[in-house]
Amino acid sequence: MMGTALGAAVLFSSACERPPVEVVNLGFRGVGMQHVDNPRELEDSVNAVVEREPVGLPPLIGGDPAPAGTYENVQVLGHLSAGEFNRTMLALTQWVSPEQGCNYCHYVDDQGQPNYASDDNYTKIVSRRMLQMTQELNTNWTSHVGEDRGVNCMTCHQGQPVPNNYFFFDGPGDPLRNYVDNVGARVQGTTALTGEGDNRQSIKQAEYTYSLMIHMSNSMGVNCTFCHNSARFADWDESTPQRVTALRGLRMIREANMQHMVPLQGVWPENRLGPLGDGPKLSCASCHNGAYKPQYNAEYTWATGWPAITQIGRPHANAAPADAAASADTAAAN
Amino acid sequence: MAEFQNLLTPIQVHGPPDPGVESEHSGKNRIFKPGGMNYLLGKIGDAQIGPFYLGWLGVLSLLFGFAAFEIIGFSMLASVNWDVVEFIRQLPWLSLDPPPPEVGLSIPAYGQGAMWLLAGFFLTVAILLWWYRMYRRAKQLKMGTHVAWAFASAIFLYLVLGFFRPILMGSWGEAVPFGILSHLDWTAAFSLRYGNLFYNPFHMLSIVFLYGSALLFAMHGATILATAKMGGEREIDQITDPGTAAERTMVFWRWTMGFNANMESIHRWAWWFAVLTTFTGGIGILITGPVVDNWYLWGQKHGLVPQYPDVYEQPLVPVQPGELDAPYLGAPSVDPLPGIGTMDGAGPAPEMMMDVSIPVPGTDQVLTYDMEMGR
Repeated sequence: MMGTALGAAVLFSSACERPPVEVVNLGFRGVGMQHVDNPRELEDSVNAVVEREPVGLPPLIGGDPAPAGTYENVQVLGHLSAGEFNRTMLALTQWVSPEQGCNYCHYVDDQGQPNYASDDNYTKIVSRRMLQMTQELNTNWTSHVGEDRGVNCMTCHQGQPVPNNYFFFDGPGDPLRNYVDNVGARVQGTTALTGEGDNRQSIKQAEYTYSLMIHMSNSMGVNCTFCHNSARFADWDESTPQRVTALRGLRMIREANMQHMVPLQGVWPENRLGPLGDGPKLSCASCHNGAYKPQYNAEYTWATGWPAITQIGRPHANAAPADAAASADTAAAN
Repeated sequence: MAEFQNLLTPIQVHGPPDPGVESEHSGKNRIFKPGGMNYLLGKIGDAQIGPFYLGWLGVLSLLFGFAAFEIIGFSMLASVNWDVVEFIRQLPWLSLDPPPPEVGLSIPAYGQGAMWLLAGFFLTVAILLWWYRMYRRAKQLKMGTHVAWAFASAIFLYLVLGFFRPILMGSWGEAVPFGILSHLDWTAAFSLRYGNLFYNPFHMLSIVFLYGSALLFAMHGATILATAKMGGEREIDQITDPGTAAERTMVFWRWTMGFNANMESIHRWAWWFAVLTTFTGGIGILITGPVVDNWYLWGQKHGLVPQYPDVYEQPLVPVQPGELDAPYLGAPSVDPLPGIGTMDGAGPAPEMMMDVSIPVPGTDQVLTYDMEMGR
């Protein structure tokens, strides 16, 4: 009977996993600054990352922007050469819709003819917005995604049209929503006594911050002490360097949601909305997927070598041929 | 003699049932007639079951306790849309939460913690009635009231957590939720909010008395069992007329640690340790918030906090001026803690970034977010 009860207890506690457990000391000895890993699960996780690597993508083509008029309705990739543009389209398919192909985003008319310029599919509008977002992350948020690495579509999408991790404004998403809505997460005071300070944070606000922190911990597969010192979580002087990176990551997530995910609200079809009717939003887990560096820093998730997403793009000048003709006319008249 | 040297109760007395001592109420309100004998209970205690005295205090206490239990259970069931399977599956995570901070100390609306307040009221009434019942039963038997006062110490901690401290803070929202994991989450959040409760000296004392209780219990239990073959378990005899059992135990402890409690005082030690566990704990909780805001900083001020060497490169990462001065999590427009001064010093509550209308590009649509949050 005892055995059954124990067995049931183990079954019901999803937080438990079979040993072995590996402990890495990250700070001064004896103060609990430790990272805990299960080498068996870590190996599975790393192998999955290796298996997902896209194959057959051509090397960097680069080059000057495609001549004006090459494309119609290219709004954020106007800085690419024709070759680089095609290479990017090929990569996007591998990164996001390897099974669905080009037509996952590009419109096909009744006669089966693809219309690459059309914005009739909502997925095209979303993917354009996501390209803009990735360009901004790699340009403005190098403090989080790294100067020489960055992120590409594969970081979140992992070869699927819908990434594994996102959140909605419902019960479980509330702590994240709370942080996205507000300016700070701090609930600890800076004075010893209540009468000396101005801390008005209630215990419920502390629970929201706590939930946010647990979300980060789960998203990255790390303990609190990956970022915080074990005695006082608020103290920057004794925190690990990772904490600063994490703080910038939170600000980055807030901006990405505000600038890019929320404005897509009118674009999502019904089946992509959450229980309260809002569109999906990014969390730390969207990129990190349980690893302290997304996909354990696999090179194929970097932005490096993809000019489409390492700089802020611009519209392609599709009106230019007419201008060119006009200037030719002017020249002839002269 | 080997039969005395084991860790289970070796002797069961199966005689005529004992109806209990005579008193003015004997025979009344006893729902079990004396007489039931149970072999398995006899292995761990006395084999006799009953008589069980209920009385009006017991009946009322059970009724109020049952009401609280039902309110908590049905509120949890309602939170999973009355789905019994989900209720069982998610039970450890389900919770009946106190009202959001903006309710303050007023009566909350249904769905805003009203059921929490009701359940807490019923549970408190049940506990207080049960306390009085223990007091009265002890008096009835011409006993001292030590059990009731020890229980009162635990009730003090319970009331601090759910009643006294929330009143001092000016908000029911400060109290502990009813739920298996949610009350543990509350504990973690409480420690984090107040800068690490381990630096609270009353928390330290409470831990000392808690672990001390366990130590004393182990020492005492072991000592008595070890002299059972000399009559050591007949402690009252040994108090008034110390025999060889008492003498040997006392010599044993003087040999091993130079000092001994006696057959009587060990029970006072145990009682005080147990009572002080919850009493000092209650004081520690009561002053956390109303008096002290950050126990780590308090500890630093009073020399409790060791300095560890820097093991990370300094500066950690180049930071912008002001980058690490994180603002507080946005406060609601209503003061969440009216009990501890006013919000004047705290500055205006930060804007809710999404509590605004956002035009959707390329459409006439304007998004407005309804900020009905659980805070």
